[in-house]
Amino acid sequence: MNEEYLWDKSGEPDPEIQQLEQILGSLRYQAKPLELPNDVRVSRPNRYLPLLAIAATVLIALLAGILWLSIRNKHVDQPRQALVPSPSVPTPTPGSNNENKEKVVESFTPNRHRETVARNSPRRTRSEPATPSKEALLVKEQLMTALRLASEKLNLAQRKAQGPTPNQIRNQHKVG
Amino acid sequence: MKSLFQRLPRTPLLVALLVIALAITARAQDPKIQLAHLDHLAAKANETVDVNIDERLIQITIKLFDDKDEDEAKIKKLVQGLKGIYVKNFEFDNDNEYSTADVDSIRSQLREPSWTRLLNVTSKREGNVEVYISMSGSQINGLAVISAEPKELTIVNLVGPVDLEKLSKLEGNLGIPDLGVGPAKPKTKNEQ
Repeated sequence: MNEEYLWDKSGEPDPEIQQLEQILGSLRYQAKPLELPNDVRVSRPNRYLPLLAIAATVLIALLAGILWLSIRNKHVDQPRQALVPSPSVPTPTPGSNNENKEKVVESFTPNRHRETVARNSPRRTRSEPATPSKEALLVKEQLMTALRLASEKLNLAQRKAQGPTPNQIRNQHKVG
Repeated sequence: MKSLFQRLPRTPLLVALLVIALAITARAQDPKIQLAHLDHLAAKANETVDVNIDERLIQITIKLFDDKDEDEAKIKKLVQGLKGIYVKNFEFDNDNEYSTADVDSIRSQLREPSWTRLLNVTSKREGNVEVYISMSGSQINGLAVISAEPKELTIVNLVGPVDLEKLSKLEGNLGIPDLGVGPAKPKTKNEQ
Protein backbone atom coordinates (compact mmCIF):
# COMPACT_ATOMS: atom_id res chain seq x y z
CA MET A 1 0.00 0.00 0.00
CA ASN A 2 1.36 3.35 -1.00
CA GLU A 3 0.90 5.61 1.99
CA GLU A 4 2.04 8.68 0.03
CA TYR A 5 -1.10 8.45 -2.07
CA LEU A 6 -3.24 8.31 1.02
CA TRP A 7 -1.43 11.30 2.48
CA ASP A 8 -1.26 13.76 -0.41
CA LYS A 9 -2.26 11.75 -3.49
CA SER A 10 1.34 11.56 -4.70
CA GLY A 11 2.92 8.37 -5.88
CA GLU A 12 1.17 5.39 -7.36
CA PRO A 13 -2.41 4.83 -6.41
CA ASP A 14 -3.46 1.58 -4.85
CA PRO A 15 -6.20 -0.11 -6.94
CA GLU A 16 -8.16 -1.05 -3.85
CA ILE A 17 -8.11 2.54 -2.67
CA GLN A 18 -9.15 3.75 -6.09
CA GLN A 19 -12.08 1.37 -6.06
CA LEU A 20 -13.20 2.64 -2.69
CA GLU A 21 -12.84 6.21 -3.94
CA GLN A 22 -15.11 5.48 -6.84
CA ILE A 23 -17.74 3.92 -4.64
CA LEU A 24 -17.72 6.69 -2.05
CA GLY A 25 -17.22 9.45 -4.62
CA SER A 26 -20.92 9.76 -5.22
CA LEU A 27 -21.32 10.93 -1.64
CA ARG A 28 -18.71 13.66 -1.99
CA TYR A 29 -19.72 17.23 -1.08
CA GLN A 30 -21.03 19.13 -4.08
CA ALA A 31 -21.46 22.85 -3.62
CA LYS A 32 -24.87 24.10 -4.73
CA PRO A 33 -27.13 27.00 -3.67
CA LEU A 34 -29.80 26.38 -1.05
CA GLU A 35 -33.18 25.83 -2.60
CA LEU A 36 -36.17 26.27 -0.37
CA PRO A 37 -39.56 25.00 -1.43
CA ASN A 38 -42.11 27.75 -2.06
CA ASP A 39 -44.63 26.49 0.49
CA VAL A 40 -42.23 26.85 3.41
CA ARG A 41 -43.02 29.91 5.64
CA VAL A 42 -40.10 31.41 7.39
CA SER A 43 -41.19 32.48 10.89
CA ARG A 44 -39.64 35.75 11.97
CA PRO A 45 -39.12 36.48 15.63
CA ASN A 46 -41.44 39.26 16.84
CA ARG A 47 -39.52 42.50 16.88
CA TYR A 48 -41.63 43.93 19.69
CA LEU A 49 -41.13 41.09 22.14
CA PRO A 50 -37.88 42.39 23.63
CA LEU A 51 -39.40 45.87 23.81
CA LEU A 52 -42.45 44.47 25.60
CA ALA A 53 -40.22 42.65 28.04
CA ILE A 54 -38.30 45.86 28.76
CA ALA A 55 -41.54 47.87 29.12
CA ALA A 56 -42.97 45.30 31.54
CA THR A 57 -39.80 45.36 33.63
CA VAL A 58 -39.84 49.17 33.73
CA LEU A 59 -43.52 49.09 34.70
CA ILE A 60 -42.85 46.71 37.57
CA ALA A 61 -39.92 48.82 38.74
CA LEU A 62 -42.15 51.93 38.62
CA LEU A 63 -44.96 50.22 40.53
CA ALA A 64 -42.55 48.96 43.14
CA GLY A 65 -41.10 52.46 43.44
CA ILE A 66 -44.53 54.08 43.81
CA LEU A 67 -45.54 51.48 46.39
CA TRP A 68 -42.34 52.04 48.34
CA LEU A 69 -42.69 55.83 48.19
CA SER A 70 -46.32 55.72 49.29
CA ILE A 71 -45.45 53.49 52.25
CA ARG A 72 -42.52 55.71 53.18
CA ASN A 73 -44.56 58.94 52.85
CA LYS A 74 -47.28 57.40 54.97
CA HIS A 75 -44.81 57.20 57.82
CA VAL A 76 -43.04 60.50 57.20
CA ASP A 77 -45.95 62.82 56.36
CA GLN A 78 -48.00 62.12 59.42
CA PRO A 79 -47.91 65.20 61.59
CA ARG A 80 -46.32 64.53 64.93
CA GLN A 81 -47.67 67.52 66.82
CA ALA A 82 -51.11 67.76 68.25
CA LEU A 83 -52.94 70.99 67.78
CA VAL A 84 -53.04 71.81 71.42
CA PRO A 85 -53.87 75.42 72.23
CA SER A 86 -50.55 77.20 72.46
CA PRO A 87 -49.67 79.11 75.60
CA SER A 88 -50.42 82.78 75.18
CA VAL A 89 -47.44 85.07 74.82
CA PRO A 90 -47.53 87.93 77.35
CA THR A 91 -48.10 91.26 75.65
CA PRO A 92 -45.64 93.91 76.73
CA THR A 93 -47.08 96.72 78.81
CA PRO A 94 -45.33 100.07 79.22
CA GLY A 95 -44.69 99.53 82.93
CA SER A 96 -43.35 96.06 82.67
CA ASN A 97 -41.01 96.60 79.74
CA ASN A 98 -37.85 96.06 81.72
CA GLU A 99 -39.19 92.96 83.41
CA ASN A 100 -40.17 91.47 80.08
CA LYS A 101 -36.78 92.25 78.63
CA GLU A 102 -35.13 90.55 81.55
CA LYS A 103 -37.32 87.51 81.08
CA VAL A 104 -36.51 87.40 77.38
CA VAL A 105 -32.81 87.67 78.11
CA GLU A 106 -33.11 84.92 80.67
CA SER A 107 -34.91 82.61 78.33
CA PHE A 108 -32.60 83.28 75.40
CA THR A 109 -29.15 82.07 76.27
CA PRO A 110 -27.10 81.51 73.13
CA ASN A 111 -24.97 78.41 72.98
CA ARG A 112 -21.44 79.34 73.84
CA HIS A 113 -18.69 78.08 71.64
CA ARG A 114 -17.03 75.23 73.42
CA GLU A 115 -13.47 74.30 72.77
CA THR A 116 -13.00 70.59 72.51
CA VAL A 117 -9.91 69.32 74.16
CA ALA A 118 -8.77 65.78 73.60
CA ARG A 119 -8.72 63.77 76.76
CA ASN A 120 -7.28 60.40 77.36
CA SER A 121 -10.07 59.30 79.60
CA PRO A 122 -11.11 55.67 79.96
CA ARG A 123 -14.27 54.73 78.13
CA ARG A 124 -17.34 54.53 80.31
CA THR A 125 -18.69 51.06 80.48
CA ARG A 126 -21.83 51.90 82.46
CA SER A 127 -24.59 53.28 80.24
CA GLU A 128 -26.18 56.46 81.51
CA PRO A 129 -29.98 56.59 81.61
CA ALA A 130 -31.09 58.24 78.37
CA THR A 131 -33.04 61.43 78.90
CA PRO A 132 -36.19 61.42 76.81
CA SER A 133 -36.11 63.86 73.93
CA LYS A 134 -38.55 66.75 73.71
CA GLU A 135 -40.18 65.14 70.71
CA ALA A 136 -40.72 61.86 72.54
CA LEU A 137 -42.26 63.67 75.50
CA LEU A 138 -44.54 65.54 73.14
CA VAL A 139 -45.62 62.28 71.52
CA LYS A 140 -46.27 60.82 74.96
CA GLU A 141 -48.46 63.81 75.74
CA GLN A 142 -50.32 63.31 72.47
CA LEU A 143 -50.75 59.64 73.24
CA MET A 144 -52.22 60.47 76.63
CA THR A 145 -54.57 63.00 75.03
CA ALA A 146 -55.67 60.43 72.47
CA LEU A 147 -56.24 57.77 75.11
CA ARG A 148 -58.15 60.22 77.28
CA LEU A 149 -60.45 61.08 74.40
CA ALA A 150 -60.85 57.45 73.38
CA SER A 151 -61.65 56.40 76.94
CA GLU A 152 -63.96 59.37 77.47
CA LYS A 153 -65.96 58.72 74.31
CA LEU A 154 -66.13 55.00 74.97
CA ASN A 155 -67.50 55.66 78.44
CA LEU A 156 -69.90 58.24 77.04
CA ALA A 157 -71.27 55.68 74.61
CA GLN A 158 -71.51 53.11 77.39
CA ARG A 159 -73.32 55.53 79.68
CA LYS A 160 -75.75 56.59 76.96
CA ALA A 161 -76.43 52.98 76.07
CA GLN A 162 -77.12 52.11 79.69
CA GLY A 163 -79.65 54.93 80.00
CA PRO A 164 -79.93 57.91 82.35
CA THR A 165 -78.02 57.86 85.65
CA PRO A 166 -79.92 57.86 88.96
CA ASN A 167 -79.04 61.56 89.44
CA GLN A 168 -80.69 62.47 86.18
CA ILE A 169 -83.81 60.52 87.12
CA ARG A 170 -83.90 62.31 90.47
CA ASN A 171 -83.61 65.68 88.76
CA GLN A 172 -86.40 64.77 86.37
CA HIS A 173 -88.61 64.05 89.39
CA LYS A 174 -87.84 67.43 90.83
CA VAL A 175 -88.69 69.19 87.59
CA GLY A 176 -91.82 67.13 87.05
CA MET B 1 -45.48 25.47 20.68
CA LYS B 2 -44.45 28.90 21.92
CA SER B 3 -40.95 29.44 23.15
CA LEU B 4 -40.13 30.54 26.67
CA PHE B 5 -39.04 33.93 25.36
CA GLN B 6 -42.47 34.48 23.82
CA ARG B 7 -44.13 33.78 27.17
CA LEU B 8 -41.73 35.85 29.24
CA PRO B 9 -43.23 39.33 28.63
CA ARG B 10 -46.57 38.21 30.08
CA THR B 11 -45.10 36.89 33.30
CA PRO B 12 -43.96 40.27 34.72
CA LEU B 13 -47.34 41.77 33.86
CA LEU B 14 -49.10 39.01 35.75
CA VAL B 15 -46.78 39.50 38.70
CA ALA B 16 -47.44 43.25 38.62
CA LEU B 17 -51.20 42.68 38.57
CA LEU B 18 -50.87 40.23 41.44
CA VAL B 19 -48.87 42.76 43.47
CA ILE B 20 -51.47 45.48 42.82
CA ALA B 21 -54.32 43.14 43.76
CA LEU B 22 -52.57 42.16 46.99
CA ALA B 23 -51.89 45.80 47.86
CA ILE B 24 -55.56 46.70 47.30
CA THR B 25 -56.72 43.75 49.41
CA ALA B 26 -54.32 44.62 52.21
CA ARG B 27 -55.50 48.24 52.14
CA ALA B 28 -59.14 47.17 52.29
CA GLN B 29 -58.48 45.06 55.40
CA ASP B 30 -56.45 47.77 57.13
CA PRO B 31 -58.42 49.01 60.13
CA LYS B 32 -56.95 52.50 59.72
CA ILE B 33 -59.56 54.97 58.55
CA GLN B 34 -58.82 58.07 56.50
CA LEU B 35 -59.45 61.26 58.44
CA ALA B 36 -57.54 63.80 56.36
CA HIS B 37 -60.67 65.11 54.65
CA LEU B 38 -61.90 66.47 58.01
CA ASP B 39 -58.99 68.89 58.23
CA HIS B 40 -61.07 71.71 56.75
CA LEU B 41 -63.11 71.75 59.99
CA ALA B 42 -60.09 73.00 61.90
CA ALA B 43 -60.69 76.47 60.41
CA LYS B 44 -64.20 76.58 61.88
CA ALA B 45 -63.36 74.96 65.18
CA ASN B 46 -62.67 76.80 68.39
CA GLU B 47 -60.35 74.06 69.55
CA THR B 48 -58.81 71.21 67.63
CA VAL B 49 -56.99 68.10 68.74
CA ASP B 50 -55.27 66.17 65.98
CA VAL B 51 -53.28 63.11 67.01
CA ASN B 52 -51.46 60.92 64.53
CA ILE B 53 -49.19 58.36 66.14
CA ASP B 54 -48.00 55.49 64.03
CA GLU B 55 -46.40 52.24 65.19
CA ARG B 56 -42.88 53.67 65.07
CA LEU B 57 -43.79 56.58 67.33
CA ILE B 58 -45.67 54.27 69.68
CA GLN B 59 -42.57 52.12 70.05
CA ILE B 60 -40.49 55.23 70.81
CA THR B 61 -43.01 56.51 73.35
CA ILE B 62 -43.44 53.16 75.10
CA LYS B 63 -39.88 53.45 76.40
CA LEU B 64 -40.88 56.56 78.35
CA PHE B 65 -43.45 54.73 80.46
CA ASP B 66 -42.23 53.63 83.84
CA ASP B 67 -42.88 49.96 84.55
CA LYS B 68 -42.62 50.54 88.30
CA ASP B 69 -45.56 52.93 88.22
CA GLU B 70 -48.77 50.91 88.26
CA ASP B 71 -50.78 53.33 86.13
CA GLU B 72 -48.05 53.83 83.56
CA ALA B 73 -47.52 50.07 83.38
CA LYS B 74 -51.24 49.65 82.63
CA ILE B 75 -51.11 52.20 79.84
CA LYS B 76 -47.93 50.69 78.45
CA LYS B 77 -49.54 47.27 78.34
CA LEU B 78 -52.58 48.69 76.57
CA VAL B 79 -50.56 50.64 74.02
CA GLN B 80 -47.65 48.36 73.22
CA GLY B 81 -49.58 46.14 70.82
CA LEU B 82 -51.11 49.03 68.92
CA LYS B 83 -50.06 49.92 65.39
CA GLY B 84 -51.56 53.38 65.28
CA ILE B 85 -53.50 55.94 67.28
CA TYR B 86 -55.41 58.54 65.30
CA VAL B 87 -57.75 61.08 66.85
CA LYS B 88 -59.49 64.15 65.55
CA ASN B 89 -61.49 66.32 67.89
CA PHE B 90 -63.14 69.59 66.92
CA GLU B 91 -64.94 71.82 69.39
CA PHE B 92 -67.13 74.53 67.90
CA ASP B 93 -68.71 77.67 69.29
CA ASN B 94 -72.01 77.08 67.54
CA ASP B 95 -74.18 74.12 66.63
CA ASN B 96 -74.06 72.42 63.22
CA GLU B 97 -70.67 73.72 62.19
CA TYR B 98 -69.91 70.35 60.60
CA SER B 99 -72.09 68.64 58.03
CA THR B 100 -73.59 65.16 58.02
CA ALA B 101 -71.49 64.51 54.93
CA ASP B 102 -68.38 64.88 57.07
CA VAL B 103 -69.60 62.16 59.40
CA ASP B 104 -70.93 60.02 56.56
CA SER B 105 -67.50 60.02 54.92
CA ILE B 106 -66.20 58.25 58.03
CA ARG B 107 -69.20 55.92 58.30
CA SER B 108 -68.79 54.83 54.68
CA GLN B 109 -65.29 53.57 55.48
CA LEU B 110 -66.68 51.55 58.36
CA ARG B 111 -69.19 49.71 56.15
CA GLU B 112 -66.51 47.27 55.06
CA PRO B 113 -67.10 43.69 56.16
CA SER B 114 -64.20 43.69 58.61
CA TRP B 115 -65.94 46.39 60.69
CA THR B 116 -68.84 45.71 63.06
CA ARG B 117 -70.92 48.37 64.78
CA LEU B 118 -70.83 47.54 68.45
CA LEU B 119 -72.86 50.43 69.74
CA ASN B 120 -74.98 53.20 68.30
CA VAL B 121 -76.59 55.75 70.57
CA THR B 122 -78.74 58.40 68.92
CA SER B 123 -79.93 61.49 70.68
CA LYS B 124 -81.38 64.58 69.03
CA ARG B 125 -80.24 66.80 71.85
CA GLU B 126 -76.90 65.28 72.80
CA GLY B 127 -75.84 63.89 69.43
CA ASN B 128 -74.80 60.42 68.33
CA VAL B 129 -72.10 58.09 69.51
CA GLU B 130 -71.10 55.08 67.48
CA VAL B 131 -68.54 52.46 68.42
CA TYR B 132 -67.12 50.16 65.75
CA ILE B 133 -64.67 47.29 66.08
CA SER B 134 -62.67 45.52 63.43
CA MET B 135 -62.17 41.82 63.93
CA SER B 136 -59.38 39.58 62.76
CA GLY B 137 -60.45 36.08 63.64
CA SER B 138 -61.56 36.24 67.25
CA GLN B 139 -59.38 39.22 68.12
CA ILE B 140 -60.19 42.91 67.90
CA ASN B 141 -57.65 44.54 65.61
CA GLY B 142 -59.18 47.99 65.34
CA LEU B 143 -61.49 50.40 67.09
CA ALA B 144 -63.33 53.42 65.75
CA VAL B 145 -65.49 55.81 67.73
CA ILE B 146 -67.58 58.53 66.14
CA SER B 147 -68.96 61.03 68.58
CA ALA B 148 -71.04 63.64 66.78
CA GLU B 149 -72.36 66.11 69.30
CA PRO B 150 -73.93 69.44 68.36
CA LYS B 151 -70.82 71.45 69.20
CA GLU B 152 -68.19 68.75 69.10
CA LEU B 153 -67.06 66.15 66.63
CA THR B 154 -64.65 63.44 67.71
CA ILE B 155 -63.25 60.58 65.70
CA VAL B 156 -61.06 58.02 67.42
CA ASN B 157 -59.30 55.28 65.50
CA LEU B 158 -57.05 52.77 67.22
CA VAL B 159 -55.28 50.27 64.98
CA GLY B 160 -54.17 46.99 66.49
CA PRO B 161 -55.36 44.76 69.31
CA VAL B 162 -57.48 46.83 71.70
CA ASP B 163 -58.70 45.85 75.14
CA LEU B 164 -61.96 47.80 75.42
CA GLU B 165 -62.38 47.16 79.12
CA LYS B 166 -58.92 48.42 79.98
CA LEU B 167 -59.36 51.40 77.68
CA SER B 168 -62.63 52.46 79.25
CA LYS B 169 -61.05 52.19 82.71
CA LEU B 170 -58.22 54.55 81.77
CA GLU B 171 -60.26 57.67 82.38
CA GLY B 172 -59.25 59.15 85.72
CA ASN B 173 -55.83 57.48 85.78
CA LEU B 174 -52.43 59.08 85.35
CA GLY B 175 -53.46 62.64 84.78
CA ILE B 176 -56.31 61.59 82.54
CA PRO B 177 -59.13 63.54 84.12
CA ASP B 178 -62.27 61.69 85.07
CA LEU B 179 -64.98 63.65 83.36
CA GLY B 180 -67.72 61.76 85.10
CA VAL B 181 -69.11 60.33 81.93
CA GLY B 182 -68.23 56.74 82.69
CA PRO B 183 -70.26 54.17 84.58
CA ALA B 184 -71.13 55.24 88.12
CA LYS B 185 -68.41 54.38 90.63
CA PRO B 186 -69.25 53.02 94.11
CA LYS B 187 -69.18 55.78 96.69
CA THR B 188 -66.65 55.74 99.52
CA LYS B 189 -67.69 55.90 103.16
CA ASN B 190 -66.69 59.56 103.45
CA GLU B 191 -68.80 60.51 100.44
CA GLN B 192 -71.80 58.74 101.90
